[in-house]
Amino acid sequence: MSSVAILPSVSSSRPTSGQRAQIEAALGERFAATLLLRERAAPVTVPIGIAALDALTGGLPRGALSEIVGPPSSGHTGVMLAALAGATRRQEVCALVDASDSFDPASAATAGVNLERLLWVRCKQTESTFKRNAGGMKSRPPAFAFGGALEQVLKVTDLLLQSGGFGMVVLDLGDIPMESARRVPLTSWFRFRRAVEPTATVLLLLEQGPCAKTCASLVLQLQAEAIFASSAAGFSDPVKAKSVSHIVGHKHSGIQVPEINNVGHAALLRGIGFHAQVMRSWAQHKPPQSAGANFNLRPAL
Amino acid sequence: MFACIYISDFPVEAIVRSEPSLRERAMAVLDGKPPLVRVIALNEKSRQLGLEIGMTKLQAAAFAETSSSGDSIIDLLILHQRSPDQELSAHAALLDVAHAFTPRVEDTAPDTLLLDLAGLDRLYGAPVKMAGELAARVTAVGIDANIAVAANPDAAMYAARGFSGATVIPAGSEAQRLGVLPVQVLLDAFKISSQKKTNSKMSQRESVKLREQMLDTLERWGVRDFRTLALLPEHALASRLGEAGAQLRQLARGEGMRTLALCEPLAQFAEAMELESPVETIESLSFVLNRLLEQLCARLEVRALAAHELRLRLQLEHRVADEETTTVEQLCSADSHNVVPTPLFECTLRLPVAMRDIKVFLKLLQLELAAHPPGAPVVKVWLSAEPAPPRSAQRGLFLPVTPEAERLEITLARISAIVGERRAGIARLLDSHRRGSFQLDRFTAAAEEGEQKPSLTMSDTSSHAPLALRMIRPARPLQVHLTSGRPDTLASEKLIDRIELAGKVLWSAGPWRSSGDWWTEKTEPENDATADHSSPWDREEWDVAVSYTDKNSSDAKTDNVALYRIYRDIATGRWFADAAYD
Repeated sequence: MSSVAILPSVSSSRPTSGQRAQIEAALGERFAATLLLRERAAPVTVPIGIAALDALTGGLPRGALSEIVGPPSSGHTGVMLAALAGATRRQEVCALVDASDSFDPASAATAGVNLERLLWVRCKQTESTFKRNAGGMKSRPPAFAFGGALEQVLKVTDLLLQSGGFGMVVLDLGDIPMESARRVPLTSWFRFRRAVEPTATVLLLLEQGPCAKTCASLVLQLQAEAIFASSAAGFSDPVKAKSVSHIVGHKHSGIQVPEINNVGHAALLRGIGFHAQVMRSWAQHKPPQSAGANFNLRPAL
Repeated sequence: MFACIYISDFPVEAIVRSEPSLRERAMAVLDGKPPLVRVIALNEKSRQLGLEIGMTKLQAAAFAETSSSGDSIIDLLILHQRSPDQELSAHAALLDVAHAFTPRVEDTAPDTLLLDLAGLDRLYGAPVKMAGELAARVTAVGIDANIAVAANPDAAMYAARGFSGATVIPAGSEAQRLGVLPVQVLLDAFKISSQKKTNSKMSQRESVKLREQMLDTLERWGVRDFRTLALLPEHALASRLGEAGAQLRQLARGEGMRTLALCEPLAQFAEAMELESPVETIESLSFVLNRLLEQLCARLEVRALAAHELRLRLQLEHRVADEETTTVEQLCSADSHNVVPTPLFECTLRLPVAMRDIKVFLKLLQLELAAHPPGAPVVKVWLSAEPAPPRSAQRGLFLPVTPEAERLEITLARISAIVGERRAGIARLLDSHRRGSFQLDRFTAAAEEGEQKPSLTMSDTSSHAPLALRMIRPARPLQVHLTSGRPDTLASEKLIDRIELAGKVLWSAGPWRSSGDWWTEKTEPENDATADHSSPWDREEWDVAVSYTDKNSSDAKTDNVALYRIYRDIATGRWFADAAYD
């Protein structure tokens, strides 16, 4: 017959120190630090490499999963390369699991990524993942509609996290359709999060829409806002051509697009303006909608 | 002082070294061409059963059946074919131990080594401690040997051949300690020394005959041990047996003194094992590989070395030529025995750093064999290692953690098994104007030398990062409609893995002409920006902003704008999209 501790009656108001001492004394044998509020320490963060985003987010948390989401041409590749450049500059070994084989080494080198410290894993789409047993019957349908690239990503990520020692592991699912990426079981993201928690590894996920849900400590949504272009008055005046940078034209789907120059002058892409918004943060689970920042990315000329 | 390492029943010990489970069983080693297969070596347990050297295989088996005490002992006796490869490996392992102990070693015989211990007492201590240390090191490489230490090499050799275990003969007491040994020990060693001097077949036969004659003579004289031989007068013995008699007397008194013929340490580390039955699965072969790796790594450890390359060679099972596929002429030819040449499978593992971890080696070999299976059952295994100084890494307290080289190597091998060969590594840009020229090199996590660059801090971040490209591999064919010479609308083949690249061109910049490698022959159409193909290219590039409808988003259909780099191949006139600005 188990004994039950008779707790003193506690009023609905906040317990006083004396009441608290009585409760802890009664339950101390069974529960240590009964009423001690345990505050989670703020994670160590690393800079993304873009001032506006670092000011907005506070950096990418170590030992946690972060997501950067956005449609094509929303800037998440540029942000990824900036983060990798910072990590390799800190002499950390990084890994990029490329689901669509879309990594451009030249862009990375221009962004400052030390390619010697970046392990690039090029996943590829395979034939249907139907498996046949000895009887020749199909055992189960493929997990993902377009083949085994996502399966390869998950397996490779598992291996990299188990191996350890990587400062940053990036999963680039930027070209994977959202409906396919969302088929990744939540348990996978949970497993990845648990794997990086005791480490100093930054696990960064690039995708078109958020998939990891509560497993992500930071979710940053990007959206293109404007395309910057310049028109050259002629090849004889390249300096003026470079100094002219303006936004003209019209808005399409909320993005400022330059007018097409039909005069015949050469047009140059000068950059893209993006807007970033924090959807979820380790500091605030529901950040205010007004928490956003603008930043530009320019092609290296 | 001198030490001798002697392995009694060397052919048996060489086989038992690879299969320790056989050590507790009676074993006989057979050699010779059928039907003249005879027993050439026995261990103590098989001698107790009554077997003798020189018996035929049938005699040994029959003798074992008839000499039982009523219980069936045929299962206790193991008849094993001689393995020259394993004897070589055992001898090499013994040399490694000896050279690690002292640099002055004589390779007297495959089963005998002599070591000069001069000056080693300060390192190892008294001769008793030296003998113990040497015995422990020999045991560590899987060999059971006799160790003897004496004031001269011959006395040490006879003591090792005559006494089991570790023996130390103090200087001056050689005659007393060796006196109890039978004369056969002396004559066996004497046979060896005469073979070394002349080294010809005829003289070997003569020395065997001489040995038998001497043994017979000494037995008729009643001389059966060293002491009795040592008491014989020198001149009388010389007059009866010649110079050999005088030498034998001197050796029996423990008075022999000669210089050692030193040998150089071996630079090869190789182990081999011949399997009794063909092995068909990788799991079964893993046990064999594990055993060989243990022996190999033990030898490397003795010499304080590591391995930066492993070479595996497998002899596959003979296949009889199929009569349906072999021509009549081939079947009837004089030198054909209906067998194909011995198939061999070879693979080489090149390690990024020198290491000596058995588990890592075994895992890498398993992954390699899984990726490239031999294709036939295995009957013999050779494993060799290229030695290298072990790596030494000085880690700093404030340097970032890097992956361990051993674990990383296994991880990379597993990743290659998942994504394919040469699809994981370091991208290295090539000096070329071709778009997307790079090559994938092997990834190593070696620490950079030189000045450490300052870490990036919040105050160092830039407000204008470079715009990046996302490559489309392979480049997607497009149907482009032009208006006034500029792209107006795009359309591409629908792919289930990609957003549909189709829509109205809202803005375009271009064209920019790009060409190169015109001096090379055209090998394939330019539709792949994966690597640096050596084929000419000539194209017209455009940057376009395309409005597309995203059907995959949760918000039904939304219009978005994406920026692409497209180009027109001048030679074929076809349009492709090879990158997206992101």
